[in-house]
Formats: sequence, structure tokens, C-alpha cells
Amino acid sequence: MIPLLSGINSTSAALQAERVRMDVVSQNIANANTSRAADGKPYRRQQVVFESELNRAMTSGPSAAAQSVKVARIETDNRPAKLIYEPGHPDANAQGMVAIPDINIHEEMVDLIASSRAFEANLAVIKNARTMALQTLAIGKR
Amino acid sequence: MIDALFNQTGYQATKRLLDATVLRQEAIAANLANVETPGYKRVDVASDFTTALKQAVSSGDAGQISSLRPQITTDQTAVAANRDGNTVQMESELLAMNQNSLAHAVETQLITGHMLKLRLAITGRPQ
Repeated sequence: MIPLLSGINSTSAALQAERVRMDVVSQNIANANTSRAADGKPYRRQQVVFESELNRAMTSGPSAAAQSVKVARIETDNRPAKLIYEPGHPDANAQGMVAIPDINIHEEMVDLIASSRAFEANLAVIKNARTMALQTLAIGKR
Repeated sequence: MIDALFNQTGYQATKRLLDATVLRQEAIAANLANVETPGYKRVDVASDFTTALKQAVSSGDAGQISSLRPQITTDQTAVAANRDGNTVQMESELLAMNQNSLAHAVETQLITGHMLKLRLAITGRPQ
């Protein structure tokens, strides 16, 4: 079936993917000081990897080359934890050092802004597709 | 035949242009969806479509015009702006999308105008 809103398959997939990315970034920010994650070790920064994929609905036809996007995987950043001196902390080692994740809040904010800009661009596509669909439906009317 | 009603070259050419415009919207949607995908190469309506349409229109053969099929292909001329190899630039895509939307408005109006003219010719009174 040809959707009335052209390109809506790719756009909705992108909105979903950007949302996942925003979730991951906010998780990173929220856990910037987590010295004990679920596995008992300091939290480790997560990162979303995007991948383009061919639209399943349209494997042939003129728009077959238009690709959609998906989250391929969520990777764990392997940068080592940083040690801060905090002797009274329950997770401190013998030297009074606590291992916390090496999360740069500015880096995360930049990621968040990039993500929300991409999200906005995709919303603009939907708005535009809607206008075009309305124009198409008005063919033949004066 | 009733086909003759819709066989004018101008009308056929507008129809094909409208096809290409809708397809272009799809290409732009795909590009903006992949604006953050590493290694993605932007797509667009194949550039040979406009030259083929021009040729077909100047030949004046409605059949030749209506046999044209626009298609989405990878844009080979685009260069990557940064090192991840992605050739999409958000600003130019948004600009192209807005231009495309205007083109769509013009083309739907042209088709509507054509139909209203036909109706006027048939009924003899403007609606």
C-alpha cells in the first residue's frame, strides 16, 4: 500500500530511533555519579549506534532506494572509570578513592541537542507531508 | 475515446512532475531520517528524469511523457561534510523540502486548473 503521507515509514522510524538515543543520553546523565550499578561496579557510559535499513514495505518500485533508520545496538563505552578522593564513601577503596564513571556532562548535552534537532527535522518532514497530502486531496476543487 | 480528454502534453507532464515531487519528498524524508547514521549516502530523484521530461515535452508526444518513471537513486555528487562519511546536510535538505512543497502546490493547482477548464468546456458554465 502506498501511504498518503509520503516518506512516513522512514520518518517514524527515525523519530523512534532518536527517542531511544535521548533515553540513553538521559540515562548517562542520571548515572554520572553512580559508583555502584546493578553489577556492583561503577556505571558505564552507553552509546547508541544507528544503522540505515531498507524499508521492508517497499522492496521494489521507484522508492526502493529510500532507506529508513534503526538503532543497531547500544554499546558500552570502554573508557576507564575515574577515581575521586572521598574517604567517607561506602564504595571507597583502602586509599579512600571512589571509582565513578567518566561521563562528561557537556558531551552528553551536545548529544542531546543534536538528537533533539534531528527529531525536530523529522517532525518538519511530517508537517510537510501532511500539507502535501491535503493539497493532493484538494485536486479538482477550486 | 475518453482518453483524449487527458492526453494533452501539458497535463501529462504535470502529472509526471507531481509523481517526481512526491518521490522527492520520500527521498528527503529518508535523508533526514538518516541524518545521524554513519556512512549513509543521500538519495534523490534520479537527475536524468528532468532531462528526459524536457525531451519528451519538446517532442510533443503524450505517450512518451506518460511512459516516464521517476526513480530514487543514490546521489553520487554529494560529498561528506565530516569524517563519518554521511553526505546529508540537514539545512539543505530542509530547504529542498520546502521548495518541494511549493512545487507540489503549483503542480496540484495546475492539475486542478486543467480539470476545471475541461469541466467548463463540457458544461459551458463555470462552477
